[in-house]
Formats: sequence, C-alpha cells, structure tokens
Amino acid sequence: MDIDKLKELIFERGRKEGFEDMEIYYENNSSFNCKVFKGEIDDYTISKEGGISFRGLYNKQMGYSYTEKVDESAIEALIEMAKANAQIVENNEEEVIFKGSKEYEHIDLYSDDLAGMSADKKLGFTRELEKGAYSADKRVINVNDCMYSDYENERGVYNTKGLNRNEKSNAAFFYISVIVQENSEIQSAVAFGTYRDFKDLDAESVAKRAVDKALSYLGAKSIKSGTYTILLENFASADLLKTFSDIFSADNVQKGRSLLKNKLGEAIGSMSLTIIDDPFMTDGVASRSFDSEGVASERISLIEEGILQGLLHNLKTAKKDGVESTGHGYRTSYKGAITVAPSNLYIQPGLNTYEDMVSSMDEGLIITELQGLHSGANTISGDFSLAAKGYYVKDGRIKRPVNQITIAGNFYNVLKNIEAIGEDLAFTIPDMTYIGSPTLKIKNIAVAGE
Amino acid sequence: MLNEKFIEDIIMVALSTGGDFAEIFAEDRYNTEIMMIGGKVDNGVSGRDFGVGIRIFKGFNSVYAYTNQYNKDALMDMAIKASEAIQGIKQDIVLGFTRYNYKNINPIECPPSKIGNSQKVALMREAHEAADNYSDSISQVTVRYLDYSQNILVANSEGRLAEDERVRTRIAIQSIASKDNEMQTGSYSPGAHMGFEFYDKIDIKQCGEEASRIAVTMLNAGPCPGGKFPVIIDNKFGGVIFHEACGHGLEATSVAKKGSVFADKIGQQVASDIVTAIDDGTIPNAWGSSNIDDEGEPTRKNILIENGILKNYMVDKLNARRMGMNVTGSARRQSYKFAPTSRMTNTYIATGKSSPADIISNTEFGIYAKYMGGGSVNPATGDFNFAVMEGYLVKNGKVDRPVRGATLIGNGPDILHKIDMVGNNLEYGQGMCGSVSGTIPTDVGQPMIRVSKIIVGGGSGVE
Repeated sequence: MDIDKLKELIFERGRKEGFEDMEIYYENNSSFNCKVFKGEIDDYTISKEGGISFRGLYNKQMGYSYTEKVDESAIEALIEMAKANAQIVENNEEEVIFKGSKEYEHIDLYSDDLAGMSADKKLGFTRELEKGAYSADKRVINVNDCMYSDYENERGVYNTKGLNRNEKSNAAFFYISVIVQENSEIQSAVAFGTYRDFKDLDAESVAKRAVDKALSYLGAKSIKSGTYTILLENFASADLLKTFSDIFSADNVQKGRSLLKNKLGEAIGSMSLTIIDDPFMTDGVASRSFDSEGVASERISLIEEGILQGLLHNLKTAKKDGVESTGHGYRTSYKGAITVAPSNLYIQPGLNTYEDMVSSMDEGLIITELQGLHSGANTISGDFSLAAKGYYVKDGRIKRPVNQITIAGNFYNVLKNIEAIGEDLAFTIPDMTYIGSPTLKIKNIAVAGE
Repeated sequence: MLNEKFIEDIIMVALSTGGDFAEIFAEDRYNTEIMMIGGKVDNGVSGRDFGVGIRIFKGFNSVYAYTNQYNKDALMDMAIKASEAIQGIKQDIVLGFTRYNYKNINPIECPPSKIGNSQKVALMREAHEAADNYSDSISQVTVRYLDYSQNILVANSEGRLAEDERVRTRIAIQSIASKDNEMQTGSYSPGAHMGFEFYDKIDIKQCGEEASRIAVTMLNAGPCPGGKFPVIIDNKFGGVIFHEACGHGLEATSVAKKGSVFADKIGQQVASDIVTAIDDGTIPNAWGSSNIDDEGEPTRKNILIENGILKNYMVDKLNARRMGMNVTGSARRQSYKFAPTSRMTNTYIATGKSSPADIISNTEFGIYAKYMGGGSVNPATGDFNFAVMEGYLVKNGKVDRPVRGATLIGNGPDILHKIDMVGNNLEYGQGMCGSVSGTIPTDVGQPMIRVSKIIVGGGSGVE
C-alpha cells in the first residue's frame, strides 16, 4: 500500500486514540548477496523488504511500535502497542517530534552504475576474487569465504509537525578470507573492499592483500609478556575505535555509561589527535543528509588536537544539555527506539608513512588484527584485553610474526599515549556506521604471551 | 499462515528452472522490549516481524530469496527471480505435503502477550531495586526485558510441512559500580523458552544482586597477571569455552568446506578422555530449544564428543549433501531474512566426577574464572579468545583475591586435550550466538572444569 495514504490513516487513528504529535519512519530495502566456493555459486540471496515504525506522544511520553506487515490491517495494532508502551515510560525530560531543520545538505548517495549492474557481472567479479587468491600463491589451501553484497535503501520520516524527508542510497561490499598452509601450520587472513574498490574492478589486488597477510603470519609464535610500544595498524585501530565510539554518545555520557562526563574543553588525548564525524564524506558508507529524527546532518569535530570539543547528540540529549542536536539521532532500523550513533567517524590522518613509523621503533610490536572486541572490551570502563596478531619489531625492522598474545590497556589512556599518527586512513567493515583510523603508534601497552 | 495450495504454487515456480529441492519458510513474530535505566522506564518498543524466505537447491548450489511484501504477486515474483539464478532443466516433481506432528516439548503456561506491560515493568523494578540497593558503590543499573513469540511454518518439495511456536523471554540486568574515575560492570541475564511463568521459577531479586555483586567485586579487584597458567572455569556460562573453542568448529558450516580444524576427524581422539560434549535441542523449555529446527526437522540430542572421541558434527540439509552425512536437526536462522545453516542449540560438556572443592584445592597457582564474558573463534585455525567477567587468583589450593580484565586465549583442539579435571556440577547459561545465519539464542553449559595451561591476558597493569 502507498505510504502517503497509509500515514494519513495512521495519524487519523492515532489522534482518535489520544496521541498528540506523531511520526512515521519507514524503510524499503533490497539486497543482493553472492558467495563463491571453488568456482561454484555457494550462496545467492536476493531480498526485498521493509517496514514502518510509528512513534507518538501520549500524555507527553513517547510510545514506539513497528510492523513489517504494512497494510491497513496493521494500523490498529500499531497504535495500540505504541499507546501501551507510552503508558509505562517515565522520562522527566520533554520528548519532541521535530518540525524540521532550516536547511539540508544536498548529497548524492545513489550510484546509477551500481544499480544497473547485472548479477552476472557481480558473480564474475566474485569468481575473479576467489581465483585471484588461489593463483596468488601455492600455499593457499582454501578460500573459505569469498562474497559480494550490495543493497539499496530508501528511508523516510514523516510527522504531524510537517516534516517530510526521504533519501535513497546504495552501496556494495566484498570480502575474502583465505587459509594458507605450510607444513602443518595453518594461518588465515581477510581483506575487503567497498564500491569504490569494486568500481576499479580490482579483485586481484584485494585477493593478494589477504594472501600476503596470511603468508606473513607463517611461523608466528607468542612473545614474552611485558610492556611494549605498539604500532596499531589502520584496520585494527579502526576496529578499536569502533568498539569504543559509544563513549562519544551524549546519551551514554548522561546515563553515566561513559567517562567523558564533564570533560568538554579538557585535553583527553595526545596533541596530535583529532577525531571527526563527517556525514557528508564522499564514498562514506554511513553518509546521509538527515538523521533518524529528521534533523539535518552536520560535520563535527569531537576531539581537536587532543581537546574534547563535542559529543554526538540527538534531540533528547541535546535538550537535556541545553545544546542543539548534532544530527546523530539513530535507529538500528524501523524496529528500534531512537538512540545516538556516529556516521562516518574517523581519526584524522597525520603525515607519517607506515615505513617511517616502523623504522622509528627500537623495539615493539606491530598489531595487525584484534579479536574478541565484542567481549574483551568494556566500553564503560575503557578497559580492554584482546587477542592480537602481528609482528615483532627490533631496531626498526620486522623480525617475525607474532600470535597467541593479548594486548591490554584502557582506551582513555590509549588516546593520551598516541605518539605518532600515520597517513594511511582505512575504514572498518561497514555496517550502519563507518569508522576509520590511520596506523597509530601507542606507548605502554601491556602484552601477555609466554 | 499460508495455505497449502499457495505453498505448492510457489514451490513449483521455484523448481521451474531445474532446482532439485525447494523450501518455503514463513515467519510471524511479535516482539516486546522494554529498557529501564536508573529505575525509570526509558522506552518500550513492540512490533511485528512478518516475512517469507524461499530457498532452492541444485546439487550443491543454493539460492535464497526473502521478502516481507506479503501478497501473492510479490511472493511469486521473488520465487521467479530466485529461480532465474538456477540454470537447468525442469525436473518432474510431484508435490504432496504431509503435516509433521510432534509432541510439544516446550509447553508455554503463560504467554507474554497475556501479560500487561505494567506487570513486566514491576518485574524489572524488582530487579533494579535489588541491584541498586546491593551497595553504595552501584552508580547505574540498566534492566532490559524482552519477550517474543515466533510462529514459523516450513514446507519443502520433499513433502514436509511443519509449524512451530517459539516463545522466549529474558531479563538482562547490568550494574555499574564506580569509585573515583573508575567504573566496573557486572551482568546477569537469565532467559528461557518459556512464557512469563519463567519468572516464578527464578528469584529476580537474587539476579539483580548477582549483577551488582560482580560489579562491586571487580571494582575492588586488582590487575590480573598475564602469562600461561592453569585455569579453572566454573559452570553455567563457563560453557562458552566449549561453544567458542570447539562448537563452532563442529558446525557443518565450517566442516563441509574443510574450513575447520575438526574436518575429517570423526572417530579420532580430539579431547582428553574425560570430555564428553553434547548439543541437545530437546531440553524442555531451555533457551536454545525448539520442537523442530528451521528446516522442519525434529531437534535431537547429538553427542559430539564421547570420552574424547569425535562422534558427530552438527549438519544441515545443504551441508549434508556436501558431506554425504545425515542431518542432525541443527539448522537454525535468526529470521526469514537468513537462509538456515547448522548451528548450536544447547551445547554443554557432560558432568564429570570431581567436586568443585577438589578442583580448587588441587590447584597450586592459577586463575579461577567464576563468570565468563563472551568470546569468538577463528574456525580455520581454532584460535579463540574470551573475556573473564569475574575472576580470581588461586593460590595454594585456595581462592585468593579477585582480578579484573582477564582474557583467555588459546587454540580449541589444543585446549580440549588439556582439560584435566571435570566437575560434577553441570549447569547452563544463556547467550546470543552470532554467525552466518544471524544471531540466535543458545544455551552454553558445563560443570566446573580445569584446563592445565592457557594463556591469560592480564588487565592493564600500566597506568
């Protein structure tokens, strides 16, 4: 059913049931995924789905509901569920349905080229990716994951205050995981890319990147426990930042779940550290012109030269702090309540080349991969203790690969202990947020091994 | 949910290009989730998921399509689009469905839909108060309540037609203890394949206190030494070690493509002979149980490892073809948005002979992990890692001071051989397991075990 017509019926019903301001958020998605295994199509998935979320103020409290069965029969349940939910909420702060920002940036998030790409071409690329890995080295015994995926998303916010915005975007992503074997030793590594890489049809170099990395781990063993200076490689550093990006949410700060309370204007990181959230970034997977509440997006500095400059806000947290929303209202999908989350958030790259950073180390470790980020990192205390892989460096040169170690520290201390920042900005595997970092040189990291 | 004639039409279209198997999965699910922060309800969200997935095989090839545009034309259109990915010649297939009947092993006494929001909030408040009143150092308590009722229908070209209703509820309590500029957390999150009667079977006050006790203990804990030690892992959620270190490597998902260190090892000794490990989807009302799996197969009790010998894998239909093995009732998926694959249900190490007191008194120096956090594994290498939520030093056969920030890392096959004591206090803990077919509820479990040597990553000793 047509969303325009449906929304009027929903609002009408809501008014009858006692709701004041009301809002509809909707999404329509379609996706394509394929996986190749030994030249054969191992997985081929297509989808077309969506849903609508309703929220509204009932006795000044916000009630939420959603449905994936989008038709007239859903209206009654939608309103009733939202009403029942509003009746239990105990917020002291005033909740608002937003009338709209003055201006919105015009950004193009939709590639016609990508939309017009045939399934055969995508499959062909995925096959090449796998072939590239097998032909890169004889020691590649298995490509256990070789996939391509893309999606189209249309989302919109309509409300009874007159807001009416929608946006359409598409993106592509591919991923390869390779296993290499020498004698009885097995190592593995992954590489991935987004549409930007896909455009150049650069399957071979991405495959080679995964293979080279896996091969470089052959002969890895643990290392003596101790305190080391580390080079946290760009992808690993971006993963760590992603894990702790929640600390910049004003919602978490207000709820006592971040240690950044009362730290605005204070030095919380090394002088060389600047962290930016840029929703307008070209090729940024999380780029957008408005957030989930319809607030215009803006580019902001969270940390500038080590000083905490701002936090990420939605309408509710901004009101509580007496500031304007930064346009970071976020919902995981039409199923979720409004929270706060970054868009494209990254540590601004410095001037150091990777090679210079390695050669400047007397003794230390290069950390290329971190594991267990969802369990070994405490976003509230900042403590982390994570399984890691990488290389041992002595006198400015890589000596051997290292595995079976953990690195431990506190993220707030890491921010202060950054000694140098590389030029090689790279981003994590994209999802709803897109987090990036260059390689960082960090002192005083506790390493546990033998 | 869907009538048989319509299912038949869809399956015939799906097979029109030469597929040799087709399946339809329909899901209608009601969710409720309520968040309470600092004793106040922050928000409640409820809604309905509704969609259909269509799967087609041709040999080892698999195509999946899903949609929640619920009308005949849209579904037919998806079936046609999916079938276009198969290139072959239509085979002669005669369809006829037999409804699969079974005895319900997960009876629900009190459906959550019959319980008002205010009763759910009252429960949460009780948990909050117990957690908050536990100690003055508790600075924040978050209580998350959820329940859902998932109705599924599976039908396939082999004639199977089966339906199941999965009703689950869980309450997750997280406490934060603070002093100076430091915070530590503790959490306790019981759940079951049950209705609201679950909360008559547990002591909610005790759950809240337990979350806070962990947080306060960790606030007063010292740094954990790093190095290689014996580690004692307690029962309940401690079973996450087997889940991560071995369970994932026994899923056909990674075995079929030889992407697992356990591939081709059936009949071989893969663990010390005091280890027996089981995946059992039939434990009545357990968090990871269901009557049928998401391919319409009855769930089973599968012995994976018996006295150290590898006996079986967890196998789904597609991988059964690849491996030439039988399915084990292990196919699971988060929702219609995922094609199913082999996954764990309730996985545990069977009870052993040692008493917990004996295990501790026989350990001269090591770490005692009372509660585990989560973890992950690379099935290709078997390398795993997981976090210790509440840990202690063990000295001279006694539990000594608490330690914080410990991580255990190791290699699955290696660790299995190093389990040198298995306790007699088997219990289960609830978790959410994320993998290729989405995030699904699973129980982990074990009695207390001891691993003779494991690398312990210490907390940050450096300030």
